[in-house]
Amino acid sequence: MWHNVIAVIRREYLQRVRSKWFIAATVAGPLLMTAITVLPAWLAIQGERDEFRVAIVDGTDVLYERLAPRLESGGFEVEEIRWHADVVTALRERANEGDLGGFIMVDELTLETGEAMYYSMDVPSGLRRVTVQTSIARTALEYQLEQRGVDAEGLMGGGVLEIEVISEAGSDITEVEFGLAYIGAFFLYMTILLYAVAVMRATLEEKTSRIVEVIISAMKPWELMLGKIMGVCAVSLTQMAIWISASVALFAGALPMIIAARPELANLESIREILPGIGLIALFVGFFLLGFLMYSGLYAAVGAMCNTDEEAQQAQFPMIILMVVPIVMVMPVIQEPNTPMAVWLSLFPLFSPILMWARVAGGGVPSWQVFLSFVLMALMIWVIAWVAGRIYKVGILMSGKRPTLPELWRWVREA
Amino acid sequence: MRDDGFALRLSGVSKRFGKHTAVDCLDFEVPRGVICGLLGPNGSGKTTSIRMIMGILGPDEGTVSLFGEDPDAVRRTKVGYLPEERGVYKKMRCLELITFLGEIRGLRRGEARRRGGAWLDRLGLPEWADKKVEDLSKGMQQKIQFIGTVIHEPELLILDEPFSGLDPINQDVLEEIVRDYHAQGTTIVFSTHLMDQAERLCERVCLISNSRKVLDGDLKEIKAAERRGVVAVEFEGPDTWIQGPEVDRIERKDDGLHLILKDGQDHQPILNRAVAAGVRVLRFDLIEPRLHEIFVRHAGDGVVGDAGVPEGRGSVYSGRFVRSGGD
Repeated sequence: MWHNVIAVIRREYLQRVRSKWFIAATVAGPLLMTAITVLPAWLAIQGERDEFRVAIVDGTDVLYERLAPRLESGGFEVEEIRWHADVVTALRERANEGDLGGFIMVDELTLETGEAMYYSMDVPSGLRRVTVQTSIARTALEYQLEQRGVDAEGLMGGGVLEIEVISEAGSDITEVEFGLAYIGAFFLYMTILLYAVAVMRATLEEKTSRIVEVIISAMKPWELMLGKIMGVCAVSLTQMAIWISASVALFAGALPMIIAARPELANLESIREILPGIGLIALFVGFFLLGFLMYSGLYAAVGAMCNTDEEAQQAQFPMIILMVVPIVMVMPVIQEPNTPMAVWLSLFPLFSPILMWARVAGGGVPSWQVFLSFVLMALMIWVIAWVAGRIYKVGILMSGKRPTLPELWRWVREA
Repeated sequence: MRDDGFALRLSGVSKRFGKHTAVDCLDFEVPRGVICGLLGPNGSGKTTSIRMIMGILGPDEGTVSLFGEDPDAVRRTKVGYLPEERGVYKKMRCLELITFLGEIRGLRRGEARRRGGAWLDRLGLPEWADKKVEDLSKGMQQKIQFIGTVIHEPELLILDEPFSGLDPINQDVLEEIVRDYHAQGTTIVFSTHLMDQAERLCERVCLISNSRKVLDGDLKEIKAAERRGVVAVEFEGPDTWIQGPEVDRIERKDDGLHLILKDGQDHQPILNRAVAAGVRVLRFDLIEPRLHEIFVRHAGDGVVGDAGVPEGRGSVYSGRFVRSGGD
């Protein structure tokens, strides 16, 4: 009997892993996630590339050499202009000819108060304004501190702040944790749905192409269903392994560049802080695996009871709702992970993969709750396998109209 | 395990879908090593019967046994099944699909692959081994599926409408393969409504109409039982001898005169009269009823509840029926 299951798993696995879709999804998945999170910021900057050529009119003789590198690291292209009587008129003309995006004037007053003048061709974005403003203020501050013999570098480097959380509920959440919780929850949602739907489509295809008759005459329906789900599962784990090892390799390769750009990250401790730990990755895979097993069972049953793609689209509606509810709740749950509602919602097995993950990645969840959620999910898988297996057994060979709920119930009882 | 010499036996098998009875109390058996045709019009219950044999549907009443055993125990390895609605994994490569179908029938992977390759060579498709199934023509896809049906060398082949959708050349190829398997001792059961094919191939037939069996048994015996009644004659000389007490009426046909006998009458006295009359007889032929005629006779008028061979209704072969060649 396992001979059959293994044959089905191998067929499903090889067929999928070798397909162009798998390769495309493996490459496109992380790109898409990156695009969703990084692209808006990048676009905002990219949109004003032309405006980044600025001239600096320095009335102090000391500011330009300090200000230029700061602006350059912020993406500006700078050029120094000596102050003269007609400098504003001259630079205005150059800017209007398209030669400059704008110019900045600094003088003795700037050294005292940080005030400066920025003539710009357009209204600068918030990011650009802040970059220019803080660069000038920091430069002035640094100059003043040096004049008084203070160690400017340590203070200007941002200082060191050690943090210890003392509240017992511990709902403090760092940006990194928030990102992990939020992006991770979305990623779980997307991957679970993607692969569960793949099981449904495969089932539907076997049913409509009628090859299922040949297969069912050689094995039991549950063998086919199990093999199908396991095969798709193996594909998804392969894909995740590729993603995780690619990220590790990319990060290792990019590390020298990150350190070069932000020298304060050079020690290991601070790097570890921004990386998810092995334990967290394992939990992520665990939530995916159990979530996939629950939903793929449901989706296999849907595929078995339908005859066309359109029917399946409609019939999968309840599952979509089950997936969307936790996604809607992710934000409040991350922010307040220990309210009774957050606890109960995240313990409901069909919501656990997304909501319990969000709480765990956000930090501060008692480990017994995590453990309990895994036990509940395992129980749920058992229940779903029992019910879905019966629906599958009857539905896979049934043609004609989609069963109504009472009919489904009869299938479950009589199968 | 007890082996009763039958590859397949259905006892009192019924299947209902809601109010509709698809198969009604079907008794039917196939001795080992025989080619048996399951004949009947569309919707008569052939495919439902085959699905019950294959365990795809469970009978509401009655039992199915294969080789005298519980069908679930032997079906996987001893039976090969070609369903009416041809299904393949379109995205798979041909040889892989065949290998997979062999594997789920209990072959080891390497063995399935080797046999699949040999089969592709035999059917002249070796260059298609690594092509995707969807790139093949319909006829070729059917060949691939047929290979998948026989890859595990089953002792019993169940083919549901195997010839439908094949061009004449491929029908001949398939017929040849079926004969080969028969020669090796494989039992073959196939359903069809193509009477020509059934007549050429079958040793036994089972005729189903309106969900019930109306006739089954050895094809030669059935034909012999149905044969009485028509004599085709061609001759040179006077025709006085053809009239007699046993002749009901005479019809002129393309192949000479047909003498239609009265019920239960023998043809020998006519021949004796012909000899006595000194006529030169070119042809004196007991017309065998074509399977098509038997089929139409039993199924066509929707005979229900009249199982068995009706006795001596010689007058039915009066040319009302379309010759089977036109099918």
